[in-house]
Amino acid sequence: MAYLSTTDFIEDKDFLDKWRYTMRTGELDLSWMNEDRQVEPCTPKQPRRGLTLRDLDVPGYGFTEMPEIARRNRSFAPRGAEIPAGCPDLQADVNRKSEVWAYNVEGYYEEAMTRQWNATTDVPWQEIVSAEIPEDVNRAYAQLLTFLSEVEMIATDVPAKWLGHLNADFFEVKNFIATQAMDEARHMEVFRKRALATGHGLLRASAQNETNLKFLRDADGFAEMSLALHLQAEGNVLTLFRFSEYISPTEADKKMFRLVMQDEARHVGYGMQHLKWVLDHFPEKREIVHKHLDEAENFLFGAGYATEVTEPFIMLAGKGLTQECIRKGIEITLKFQLQQIEEYFERLERCGMPERREKSRLWQIVEMTKAAQAEMAAAAQPAG
Amino acid sequence: MGFFAEKDFFEDVELLEKVTKTMAGELSLDWLDAATERVKCAPQDTRRGFTMDDINVGSYGYSSLPELIRNNYSMAARGSERVGRLPDLGYVVNRKSDVWADAAAALYEEAKSRRWAPAVDVAWGTLHESPLPPALEAATAQLATFLEEMSLGRMEFPSRWVAIINQEFIELKSLLCAQMIDEARHVEVFRKRALAGGQGLKRASATAEQALKEMVFGDSYAEGSVACNVLLGSLLLGVLGHAGAVTTSAVDQKIFRLVGQDVGRALAYGSAALAYHVAHRPGAGDAMHDFLDHTEHTWLGVTASRELLEPLAVLTAGGTDRAAVQNAMQKIGFTLERSLASYLAHLEKAGIKDRSRRSRLPQLLAAARG
Amino acid sequence: MISFPSLEFFQALQARMREKQELFQRLGYFDTTFGVRVLDNGGAHSFILGFEVFENVRVEQVGAIEQAEVDFVLEGPLGVWREMLDNIRRNRGADAAHSLNTLTHFGESLRSVYLDPDAHDKMYRFAESIQQYFNLAAEVDLA
Repeated sequence: MAYLSTTDFIEDKDFLDKWRYTMRTGELDLSWMNEDRQVEPCTPKQPRRGLTLRDLDVPGYGFTEMPEIARRNRSFAPRGAEIPAGCPDLQADVNRKSEVWAYNVEGYYEEAMTRQWNATTDVPWQEIVSAEIPEDVNRAYAQLLTFLSEVEMIATDVPAKWLGHLNADFFEVKNFIATQAMDEARHMEVFRKRALATGHGLLRASAQNETNLKFLRDADGFAEMSLALHLQAEGNVLTLFRFSEYISPTEADKKMFRLVMQDEARHVGYGMQHLKWVLDHFPEKREIVHKHLDEAENFLFGAGYATEVTEPFIMLAGKGLTQECIRKGIEITLKFQLQQIEEYFERLERCGMPERREKSRLWQIVEMTKAAQAEMAAAAQPAG
Repeated sequence: MGFFAEKDFFEDVELLEKVTKTMAGELSLDWLDAATERVKCAPQDTRRGFTMDDINVGSYGYSSLPELIRNNYSMAARGSERVGRLPDLGYVVNRKSDVWADAAAALYEEAKSRRWAPAVDVAWGTLHESPLPPALEAATAQLATFLEEMSLGRMEFPSRWVAIINQEFIELKSLLCAQMIDEARHVEVFRKRALAGGQGLKRASATAEQALKEMVFGDSYAEGSVACNVLLGSLLLGVLGHAGAVTTSAVDQKIFRLVGQDVGRALAYGSAALAYHVAHRPGAGDAMHDFLDHTEHTWLGVTASRELLEPLAVLTAGGTDRAAVQNAMQKIGFTLERSLASYLAHLEKAGIKDRSRRSRLPQLLAAARG
Repeated sequence: MISFPSLEFFQALQARMREKQELFQRLGYFDTTFGVRVLDNGGAHSFILGFEVFENVRVEQVGAIEQAEVDFVLEGPLGVWREMLDNIRRNRGADAAHSLNTLTHFGESLRSVYLDPDAHDKMYRFAESIQQYFNLAAEVDLA
């Protein structure tokens, strides 16, 4: 299975003759030079930021005036270039801007490019390898790191899988996807390195969460994929990183989580701005979004089976395995889980889906849990 | 179309019971007994930091990767304990010799270390201090259009494969991510260059795109890598070196130099991967010869495209004067000869023996040069 | 005042590179060993320069460069080398006409000699670091 170009250039006598003639005589066609595609030279509007993609948002080339449907370009031709006859069809099947676009996608890309950090050098590894951490906490931490190193690269594979499906006119989105792929490879790397520096290595994979990864991989469309991956899954992971920073056993680990949080927040930002764009420009998608979230939330709830994730979190939060530690750890973990879900619904609300709470069975569970907690708290109050 | 969970978990009594137990403090803690190898890795060379090589240990390392991955189609981290039913995530590239290069981890570290950001690492503000004459600016814009086009294709190649390559090959997949971001950077820098000069983008190239599509949309990863990284990579390295040598703009020179770093690294990977492939797969050398017999024409499709050849000639000649352009063609011929020689030398070293005798390209180039 | 070509000259560059650690760290890992051969009146002055991580770890003057010992050799007449260095000193860094790539690409001024194509690729992979290394000559008091 391969594409073969419409001509074998070596067998194409006319092509070869033209080439030989040009090479020997220096006679040039130069019709490309006369293409009147000139533009006021793009310059950095904010010199400290350098020349950004936003500075290139000019008539004829920019993203603002890009039409909803990319009809003309089905090749690798850069947006705004003249497209001659004979360019191949790249079979891009995502050609609607509102399927992929996000407010500020160009800003997220530039941020990603200037904020790339290096897991090899930017984490204080010397500090980490010489840290003394209690054995049970350390082992729990190795398990949490095992989970994180397992799931991170789904956010490489899934967007990358879509990159070639996108019309080349949406190169800002393709470029953003490329930065995300790199970010997630870095996250997998840093968590793997951290786990192998604990003295325990990796522990157990998470079968339940793996099925969630498959759900993310096999999404129906780009918008559905982004919704489940960027907004829901990475949103949840962002909250997880924040709590992980809070419960980290060393200052160096806190720094590590702060670094990964930066990237994750950017991905969530894209996801939110993408959903906003979809709802603003493709309102017919709203019910499809709800349907997709129904199943995404089903998977999220099913992650309750993954005790290999919940239990180390409890141990880390409570700082041990004594009864008191576990009690405290559960209190913090429950708080984290509720916050994770509340933040998810808040994000949806900010994107223009406040009605999600009413439709969501996950939100019903949250309400029931909060009600039960309130009851227990009231019952625990001393009488009188 | 889509994957659905095996249960409606909101109706799952067993789940409810499990969660209730956990939150009541009844922890199973069975993961504590995971039967995995205990290791404590640390940076071996503090100057470099904590590298992938430092964690290449025991059952976790890439050195112990088998040729065939049969036992893991999930994203379970290599070396972790796999318990329960893990899903099949659809990987179709499961042979190490299809993708591997012994240098993969080191090249990934180099890619991260040598990253750059076009927005701030190019002195865009100084571009207008010494503007190029209109013909040279137009040629630079056309060359930039062409290179943006090539970069869009080269970004797509790793993206087509990364999601279907087995997750056991994490170092290689990470390197593919680095390649994607490298090419995104190239798309960005060449577009910025074309628009910063005021000429805008010029013309896409139908012939080069046909060739590029054949390279990118190949039958197998190994073939695609040879086409994109070695065949096209060595050509682009030559073009970048040539453009850098003839431009009078220090800003452009730096752009070509920085892009050349990334392209050189991709060539290094492609060459090393080919060597591994040939060394570990009987018959791979012959199969690759056969592939190149019918794919090398794409080199010509790119090289001879007017949208590359002509702007390069104008830049080399310093203008469009016919005599100067004719002389410029000599220099372009030299560059093409050298980059073709480099391509053939890489193949020879990788174990594709005698390609220089079998390939039609050297004679075609010699004939074109006259 | 330091003469060129001389071991002292390359040791001076080594010292300058140590002072500019931040620049070279920002550029990234720099892992190559290459030779410099300055052709002079039928003879040659030969040096081996080794770079590892962010440092210039080897500066050696040799009678002859074993090609297999280095990734590539930059070779050319004394006059060309000297013109490059003078240009670097005058402009605080090579101008477009005197960058290493410009001087070596067509093999007319300087040339790059190699045995192993993979090793030679390092000239491109580390190009910016190599250029910045030679640009350090701007701060050397050359005779």
